Amino acid sequence: MAKETKGHSVESRKTKLINAAIFLLLATLAFFTVYPVIYILFGSFKTNNELVRGGVNLLPQKFVMDNYIQAWEMANFSRYTLNSLIISFGVMAVSLTVSSMAGYVFSRKEFRLKSLIYNSMVMFMFINVGSVALRPLFELAVKMNMNRSLISIILISAGGGQATYVFLIHGFMNSIPKELDEAAKIDGCSFFGIYSKVILPVLKPALASVALLSFRGGWNEYILPLIFTMTNEKLRPLTVGVVALQNAGDGAAAWNILFAGSAIAIVPIILVYIAASKQFMGGMTAGAVKG
Amino acid sequence: MNSNNSFGHRLKKSWDHGDIPMWLMLVPTIFFILVMSVYPFTWLIRYVFYDYNGFKAYFVGFENFKRMTGDGIYWKSVLHTFEYAILKLLFLLPLSLVTAVLLQKRRFGSGLIQGIYFLPTVISSAVYSLIWYFIFATYNGVLNAFLQVIGIINQPIDWLGSSKTAMTAVVIVAVWGGFGNYMILLISGLAGIPSDVYESAQIDGANGIQTFFKITLPMLGPVLKVVIMLAITTAFKDYESILVLTAGGPNNRTHVMFSYIFQMVFGTSRAATQLQIGYGSVLSIISALIVGLITIVYLKISRKMDEIS
Repeated sequence: MAKETKGHSVESRKTKLINAAIFLLLATLAFFTVYPVIYILFGSFKTNNELVRGGVNLLPQKFVMDNYIQAWEMANFSRYTLNSLIISFGVMAVSLTVSSMAGYVFSRKEFRLKSLIYNSMVMFMFINVGSVALRPLFELAVKMNMNRSLISIILISAGGGQATYVFLIHGFMNSIPKELDEAAKIDGCSFFGIYSKVILPVLKPALASVALLSFRGGWNEYILPLIFTMTNEKLRPLTVGVVALQNAGDGAAAWNILFAGSAIAIVPIILVYIAASKQFMGGMTAGAVKG
Repeated sequence: MNSNNSFGHRLKKSWDHGDIPMWLMLVPTIFFILVMSVYPFTWLIRYVFYDYNGFKAYFVGFENFKRMTGDGIYWKSVLHTFEYAILKLLFLLPLSLVTAVLLQKRRFGSGLIQGIYFLPTVISSAVYSLIWYFIFATYNGVLNAFLQVIGIINQPIDWLGSSKTAMTAVVIVAVWGGFGNYMILLISGLAGIPSDVYESAQIDGANGIQTFFKITLPMLGPVLKVVIMLAITTAFKDYESILVLTAGGPNNRTHVMFSYIFQMVFGTSRAATQLQIGYGSVLSIISALIVGLITIVYLKISRKMDEIS
């Protein structure tokens, strides 16, 4: 092993070897990371018989679509999918509106209560009492008859992500020169007009990040809709619907539907991720570093 | 008339100045802070003194606090929280740091590999925990099948149902689902290190490992500190994955503080228990204080490290 590495060609061969070893290591880890996803995707086309038998085969012996048809028609997954879509797009719309307005105001205005509002937003993001905080919100929603629709879930999910998205927008806003606002003001734009006509178009990259992160947040929300739909199966999103099946009856009997249901719950968000992976990772960093 | 006029005048002035539109634009943000943070917090403080089952609340004074001191399951769940968080961080932090350093350099397949490492982060932790629940299954799970094929075990292991292995299984899922996120944060931190520092190290003849300890790690310090703090606070607050994988079982072996509280305040589908919301509120506040304390201790330690180096 302790060979002399004086010559240039020997050195580069050594580097090549090291690089190959590193690649092998990284690729192995990548295989283990992606394995559960591939396992569920292929497994969702296996017959229930094959799933109950188990084994190490990744590919199904016989490809069947039946699991998806059963999940979609009998196990209510069409409904769950619709609910998940409504929640995700709702959370996205609310988050975009709220955070872009707040980020704009925080970046461009000085006023008396500014630091109080800003700091309480930060403080409450760190004081995390867990799920208990959802109990009063749930009771409030029941009192206001808002537990029969998805609106309360959308609002609470968007509110929970608010601080991160406001930081993200605020950070981006600070990099937009104020001369832009002033030029628009001279042209007769109002405070809101500057926001809607000048700032929003410039904010696009940051808005894209917020859109992606909040969409993912809404799509993946679990505890919140679990609590709000405990007695109302019709409002369940995919996450809650598929996990509820795990506990219904003797799990093993419905493995094929569970596999198809899990696949339905993860494939859309994975497709979004594949289409926009750079923005996903970029948004992640921007939000965390600013926060 | 006069005051009315001046009020109207003032109104118009502040509208033109952008003050009123500004406040209107802040209404949703303020609404969220009040309804989603302030209101639940005050609600919680009140119910700390009540025995509340979701229908009727009885004032019990400090009874809930007394009960907490003698609640063995809760204090065990606190211990489990530490066990879980320490184990998770022990594997997650080195893994995300090493992958970040290796992937920061452009190499064959690095884009795809990085994308795969980040993939678990975009999936719901409830659903990926369900997938792992299948993988860990005793008789038809793929993990036992694989271990039996390569001859490591003879008998299938009840990964999630045995108190010996349940915590290990939970931690595996947590590391799998979390390391890509911190890797991405660290890669962006690494990108901030100027390349001429590396170049001069190369000229001085430093090898990869020397460069890592002498340059990368110290230069990454500030980012690393923030990332570690994020990882710590997240690890202590995790419970969603545990609810799906084991629901705190077997025999409370994997109950962390917040999964125990969740069952107290909302009940479970697996075991029907009487809701104890007031008591759960007490435990939540204590648990939040524990997490806060750990954060403060970490900040103190990392500041001390700064003074030394």
